[in-house]
Amino acid sequence: MKTFKFTESLKMSLRSITSNKIRSFLTALGVMIGVAAVITLVALGNGSQKAVESSLQSLGSNLLIVYSGQPKGPSLVRRNTTNIAPALSEDDLEFINSLPESMVLHAAPESSASGQVKYGNANTGATVVGTDTGYTAIRNYYPIYGSFFAQSDINARKPVAVIGAQVYKDLFDDGFDPIGQKIRINGIGFKVVGIMEEKGSSTTDTQIFIPISTFQKYISGSSKYALINIQAANLDSMRELQKFLEDELLHMHRLPSMDAADFYIANQLDLLSTMEGVTGTFTLLLASIAAISLIVGGIGIMNIMLVAVTERTREIGIRMALGAKSKDILSQFLTEAIILSVGGGLIGILIGISAAYGASRFGGMASVISVQSILLAFGFAVITGLFFGGYPAYQASKLDPIEALRYE
Amino acid sequence: MIRIKNLTRYYQMGPTTVKAIDDINLSIGGGEFVSIIGPSGSGKSTLMNIIGCLDSPTSGTYSLAGEETAALSKDMLAEIRNRYIGFVFQNFNLLPRESAVENVELPLIYAGVPSKERRQKALGILKRVDLEGREFHLPNELSGGQRQRVAIARALAVNPKILLADEPTGALDTKTGAQIMELFRELQSEGVTLIMVTHDRDVAAQGRRIVEIRDGHILTDVPVEEWRK
Ligand SMILES: Nc1ncnc2c1ncn2[C@@H]1O[C@H](COP(=O)(O)OP(=O)(O)OP(=O)(O)O)[C@@H](O)[C@H]1O
Ligand SMILES: [Mg+2]
Repeated sequence: MKTFKFTESLKMSLRSITSNKIRSFLTALGVMIGVAAVITLVALGNGSQKAVESSLQSLGSNLLIVYSGQPKGPSLVRRNTTNIAPALSEDDLEFINSLPESMVLHAAPESSASGQVKYGNANTGATVVGTDTGYTAIRNYYPIYGSFFAQSDINARKPVAVIGAQVYKDLFDDGFDPIGQKIRINGIGFKVVGIMEEKGSSTTDTQIFIPISTFQKYISGSSKYALINIQAANLDSMRELQKFLEDELLHMHRLPSMDAADFYIANQLDLLSTMEGVTGTFTLLLASIAAISLIVGGIGIMNIMLVAVTERTREIGIRMALGAKSKDILSQFLTEAIILSVGGGLIGILIGISAAYGASRFGGMASVISVQSILLAFGFAVITGLFFGGYPAYQASKLDPIEALRYE
Repeated sequence: MIRIKNLTRYYQMGPTTVKAIDDINLSIGGGEFVSIIGPSGSGKSTLMNIIGCLDSPTSGTYSLAGEETAALSKDMLAEIRNRYIGFVFQNFNLLPRESAVENVELPLIYAGVPSKERRQKALGILKRVDLEGREFHLPNELSGGQRQRVAIARALAVNPKILLADEPTGALDTKTGAQIMELFRELQSEGVTLIMVTHDRDVAAQGRRIVEIRDGHILTDVPVEEWRK
């Protein structure tokens, strides 16, 4: 004997779906939003994770930073150094510089202050950073036009400045050659010698670099440094180097232990793993919000299917009276639920991808669409249909034909 | 073909028990044409539902073609309804959102007949009940009599061995009613067992055997010739 075919279920379901378009759409909408949310939010979560990683990487490689002051917990990336009381001395820097190349490749002091910068009528706020020539190599951050200041500028305490990409945009017309122009930082005249490459980060691109000696003379009035950037010789020995420096600097500062220290050392490895942890949690959080909305979508399907089964009790009775078996009724309603959820899922994928794309294209947010999240969301939509549609379909299939026929 | 022994069907309505069928014994052989008559509420439809394997008795036995129906599973009963029994419901029970021809196709879908063949067959039967030109109308676009004929066509779709017709001419005028009776006699000559419920004595007289029911009992069960007297 021939059996009731899947194509028949499909036809019946499509018919009932199209006979009540608005209701079907609203039912599928729950799944649509759920799937779209999973894809978009996971993409944004991944995107921000990638963005943080790359911005940490762009700090430079094998980076250790000796900060003045007390540590403020392990997760800080880059403290706002403009208001740290500088506590690191020239002796500290010289000691670090005296270490062999098998330990330290470069070291550069850094102090900063916020400043008001003027050129003609244009003016903007910037972070004024005093440092030395080693800075560019350590931070892997170079001038794109002109040059960084030289050792001779440091020795002579020259008022020269290398401006960040954003500072250039704020002060000068696009395409204008600023080299040799005089700008005023907190009222003091500086000659522009270079423009730094654009990093895309507002903190980085609004900096102005001047010789550390000039900074000390005109801006801080102190001979101490806020921090010392160090590029370690290799990644594997960074933690040992950190320990070694802690011990030596404690000794030099005549301090008993790190608990009483007036400095602390941040290690790029720790920053990376902390940030990865934070953004990982963030992604997970977004994913769970999205998953919840999928479940809500599923409950929507279940709700509508339960209503549909009640509404169509008589139809079910008639079909059973004419020879429909339990599994025929089951497959009819299950197919309907699956079409709604799969249809909603497919549209949700399109919406999710477009939203993630739109967020990065027009909203300036980083997003990385992951194939796994698409598969996961879609699989979830199908399972939602099966699970939440399964119960009403089962209820329908278990109806008693004569009772169903009498139903008004 | 049909053997009913000490059959009862009670409905429990709160404290009272409605005895819709109260101890009925009835045997109907293959190819018979039986008319069931009786006043309203006497249990005719209830009996038809049991014979049609839609409802089950409270007590007593019903065997169909030698099979005890009580022993059959839900799915097997569905298959019997689908393959061997055509049922014309008193209230037609057409699907309101499906056209006449689609309603007629319904039992064929569950019999697994491919769609082209199904359509052809359904159109043929609609022609036989004189509904040419109304094939694609929805039930609410049809007159009561036309709907009744769609219901009859649907019952005939799978070439049933037994045709159960509950008031098949209730909504028809004398002329169309007579046409349906003509059709029923044709079916009988093809070997179909016919059981028909009716109020109309003239229609009942078309049957070869008359069973009169009152208050759930069989009052008389006689050949039509005897009943006419
Ligand atoms: N589902 C039910 N619940 C309770 N009582 C019922 C039910 N179905 C039928 N009855 C009762 O059973 C009795 C027989 O009903 P049935 O429908 O068999 O009558 P009938 O002979 O077909 O009447 P009619 O000629 O009006 O169609 C009636 O008294 C009716 O009230
Ligand atoms: Mg009745």
